[in-house]
Amino acid sequence: MTMVNRKLIKDLLNESACSHNKTKKASCDKPKPGATSGGCAFEGAQISLFPYADAVHLVHGPDTCLGASWETRATLTSYEGENNTPLGYCTNVSTQDIIFGGDKKLSDALSYIVEHKKPKAIFVYETCVTAMIGDNIDFTCKTAEELFHIPIVPVHAPGFVGSKNLGSRLAGEAVLDALVGTREPEEIHPFGINLIGDYNVTGDMWQYKPLLERIGIKVVSSLSGDGRIEQIQTAHTAKLNVIVCAKSLVTLCRKMQERYNIPYVSVSFYGKRDTSNAIRSIVNAFGDAELIAKAETIIAEEEAKLETRLKLYHPMLKGKKAILNTGGNKSWSIASALQDIGIEVVATCVQKATEEDVAIASEYVPILFKAPGVDQPRLIDEHKVDILLAGGRSLYTAIKKRIAFVDVNQEKKVSYGAYGGLENLAIDVCAALSNPVFKLVGKQAPWDAA
Amino acid sequence: MSFINPKEMKTTTMKPLHVNPLKLSQPMGATLAFLGIKNCMPLMHGAQGCASFTKVLFTRHFNDPIAIQTTAVNDITAVIDGGDKGISEAVENITKKVTPDLVGLFTTGMTETKGDDIKGATLLLKEKQKMVYVHTPDFEGGLESGWSLSIQNIITQLIEPTTHVRKDKVLFVPNVNFSPIEVEKLKEALELLDLEVYALPDLSDSLDGHLGVKQGALSSGGISVSDIEKLGDAGAVITIGRSVKKCGELFYEKFPQSTHLHFDSLMGLEASDEFYAKLFEFLECKSVPSVVKRWRARLQDVLLDTHFTLGKAKILIADEPDSAYAISKALKEAGGSCEAYIAQRSEVQEAFTCKVSIGDLEEVEKALPAMDLLITNYHGERLAHKHHKELLIRGFPNYEQVGIGLRHNILYEGSCAFLCEVTNLLVHH
Repeated sequence: MTMVNRKLIKDLLNESACSHNKTKKASCDKPKPGATSGGCAFEGAQISLFPYADAVHLVHGPDTCLGASWETRATLTSYEGENNTPLGYCTNVSTQDIIFGGDKKLSDALSYIVEHKKPKAIFVYETCVTAMIGDNIDFTCKTAEELFHIPIVPVHAPGFVGSKNLGSRLAGEAVLDALVGTREPEEIHPFGINLIGDYNVTGDMWQYKPLLERIGIKVVSSLSGDGRIEQIQTAHTAKLNVIVCAKSLVTLCRKMQERYNIPYVSVSFYGKRDTSNAIRSIVNAFGDAELIAKAETIIAEEEAKLETRLKLYHPMLKGKKAILNTGGNKSWSIASALQDIGIEVVATCVQKATEEDVAIASEYVPILFKAPGVDQPRLIDEHKVDILLAGGRSLYTAIKKRIAFVDVNQEKKVSYGAYGGLENLAIDVCAALSNPVFKLVGKQAPWDAA
Repeated sequence: MSFINPKEMKTTTMKPLHVNPLKLSQPMGATLAFLGIKNCMPLMHGAQGCASFTKVLFTRHFNDPIAIQTTAVNDITAVIDGGDKGISEAVENITKKVTPDLVGLFTTGMTETKGDDIKGATLLLKEKQKMVYVHTPDFEGGLESGWSLSIQNIITQLIEPTTHVRKDKVLFVPNVNFSPIEVEKLKEALELLDLEVYALPDLSDSLDGHLGVKQGALSSGGISVSDIEKLGDAGAVITIGRSVKKCGELFYEKFPQSTHLHFDSLMGLEASDEFYAKLFEFLECKSVPSVVKRWRARLQDVLLDTHFTLGKAKILIADEPDSAYAISKALKEAGGSCEAYIAQRSEVQEAFTCKVSIGDLEEVEKALPAMDLLITNYHGERLAHKHHKELLIRGFPNYEQVGIGLRHNILYEGSCAFLCEVTNLLVHH
């Protein structure tokens, strides 16, 4: 396994910019056999880079890695060429390749892609099998890059090196090494930013990007929602990195600060308060009085418009109690969004949150819990909760307790981001609260009723 | 290392990659097979992602919780151990929380590459946990073979030896493309003939979408392990689909007092007729249930009603081999002209009466403009939309529709529903 860079992985797991690493490394522990259900490093790398629609994403491995995972995330793009994000490219490594090595197949696949698809770049994802058989992916990519004159970027995040989170970091490293700083832009904008860690799922990024542009901020590049290869190549000319809801790419931002002197801020665009605060964090980082004033005008305008639109839902939402069970930063960001629409958030689950997230969550929500299986039903009864917002797995808890349910994980079809998304959240919560189905299906059969 | 001349590529049909793969992997087929056994924990021996991807795909497909665990092989254990440590640790962690009647242990590409001894690991744990092991590298075969290999290993490892035989007891082995309700419908069809029926595996009450009492950490329904162990006295083993034919042969080899009845398909008039003919012959049955007669007459009527439209239709099918074969055969009975792409090599490709290729959805897309209707999985939606073709979603995954577990397309009744559905889509177009 020549390609696994143990030193880099160790460094990424010990990221000094992560607050929990001052005490312990709990959130970056190895997965436990028989007691884990999360995605692997390969999945994390895929999630982080797939939104580059103008690049082909070639998975060098056998079937399971890609066969089961392509076209699953609604990461939207405005790219006008063929959108490669939902497409699946896989070298489909076979027994023959395991014995003789998969380098030849990889180079043939790269030729095929360049000829037929004419992408702006190709990302080559190493997987467990091709890492184990020792394919020289770096060499094959480098040779192809020289021949075809487009960036061909190896991504060394085979599943066995760790979790989804680590894979995102490794993908960030690959982009930093191979793409950032390889092209100079025509002009350098005084208020240029990079958006880091928003993958534009259900168009989240489009809820706030136009606002930033109206204020006078230019989005130089994105990693990677609605992203373009040519833009990320110029990322080193931005004046500020904005991490959106993604702790995993903090290493990338720290390194860009060291390498290119670009500072970074971490923000969330869920809910009214957080969106306004996010905009303020960005303009304050530039410290330009005119920009700050413009931002305040637009925040005031947008908040007022949103309040008018939300009035419609207030009678139904007022005084309703909710419990939240979701991962990472969403443990507090969705909570704050719910509070913004008048809902009392009784408790939030911090099982998958980092220490930093737990600290923030405690400022928003009175009760934090860690064992949803036990705590969720109990808290619903104790506090007479009206609605549960969680991933699909908690649906049964809601049905058994005969309370409303909203899926706030990947299954959601609309964006809950920024001011516009908050209205979507209000609509979905109202629809759930008024739907009779949760009470109806929880009813006993006539022959079981006492 | 050499780069091929792209100009030469055009003349070869063997692409060096899959673009928009149609194929799903062997470990995924194994997962489904073990989910058809009651209180079972499918345990995938590989990195955590393989199990996670599989879980997400089936959860979204069936809209039901999917029980699965992983041995979570990491960069250290990937190199140094023979797999037994990770496997025993996994079993230990699983049994801390739940008590499975069976752990179905199967491999992935990585653990096959390192050559782990899963048989040895299973034997070491024999006293602690009942297990079945299966080799399912994902660089060979596909969904159908992963399903079939698991059943073969359940037959050899779990069914107890016996010489006793009960002619009124049958074992029925569906192929992976059977929807849960189709398993139940076939069981009912056999029960109507006074048979005691066991399906191996049995997804009919585990992934049919019924609202159970709890959201299980283990598979919720299915055939029980004790019923499997006592299957040896079944008078007949019925296999449906070429991918599971070997399961029947293996059963017959182990229990030669039984009879093996094999059918390549159960869709359409001819296949259903053949099914009943062979079955009645085996049972020496004289009286045919009236409900069977009525549905046969209805299918005859449906064939006539649908042939006006289907007779002129050009249909492209892309699915697992057994499913594509069954669909093409049924459509052909009403005069439809079909072309099929299959996900993996299979013996059934010899039986196809239409043009059949092993391909990916990039090739399907190239053939699509000349066709009227596309029958394939969820990934076909984008293609059908782009080329303004009607789409019937079949196969794995189907993220778009609900009620997947309740879709019934076999025997006379199911064939009626299928032909009407296809015809209505075409007329609508």
